[in-house]
Amino acid sequence: MDDDCDCRRVLDELQRYLDGECPETLERTVRAHLHDCPPCLDRAGFERSLRAIVARRCRDAAPAGMVERVIARLRIEASGL
Amino acid sequence: MATPGPPPGAGGTVRRHLTDEERREIFVRDALPYLDQLYSAALRYTRNPADAEDLVQETLTKAYAAFHQFRPGTNLRAWLYRILTNSYINAYRREQRQPDEISADAYEDFSLYDRIAATTQAPAEVEVLERLTDEEVRQALADLPEQFRMAVYLADVEGFSYAEIAEIMGTPVGTVMSRLHRGRSRLQKALYDFAVRRGLVPATVESPADRRDRS
Repeated sequence: MDDDCDCRRVLDELQRYLDGECPETLERTVRAHLHDCPPCLDRAGFERSLRAIVARRCRDAAPAGMVERVIARLRIEASGL
Repeated sequence: MATPGPPPGAGGTVRRHLTDEERREIFVRDALPYLDQLYSAALRYTRNPADAEDLVQETLTKAYAAFHQFRPGTNLRAWLYRILTNSYINAYRREQRQPDEISADAYEDFSLYDRIAATTQAPAEVEVLERLTDEEVRQALADLPEQFRMAVYLADVEGFSYAEIAEIMGTPVGTVMSRLHRGRSRLQKALYDFAVRRGLVPATVESPADRRDRS
């Protein structure tokens, strides 16, 4: 019963915890619970993987030649000031 | 990820007295290393490469014109994102709807983990994620309502803190947290739909919790 309560509390705070935004005491509580509770640890691992996958797959490089186009535009802006 | 800021003392308070050439050199050295990141963000915002390049050009032009107002030593990357985000909202915004005001959000607490875990035939939860294609993940993010999309992108891809996102989007931290929560839930729902469509996860009967959420 107590375990269920802990799990629910940790679930409620999981987003903030994974985002590194928990106050220190709460962070320690969540970390200790994850250490002792395999199901919650598994869920936390999944949520972490999902963030990592979004991060990895939603990155793009600027198109070729764009740096030069930006610099050229800055020159024009500067001369117009 | 490393976020190179300007070296200590770069520019400094004498920036106003620099020649155009010197000012441009400092700007190019300090701000242009963020070009790929800014373009990537612009592409998520506008969902279109031509608009994304225009948006970044506009952002860097404005940033350059206002560069004397930027205080060296403060967060240049966040400052550039703030200009990018404001420029987008002012010039490119097409959605007038404010998702924060949507009262009934059917997928507010959708959990992809629970959905996969609930099916016995599915592969391990993380394995399902790995099998999703780049295109599916990008599309799921692109389909989010604008303010959720921006918050999720800034947090999960760029790794900005809640306080930085609040500053960039011009909203309170509480609003950032709510947008993140709702955006991530919707993202998980979209990924779940892709996984079901491709047979990575068997379709399940709607759970009572879903019906309750929608009523």
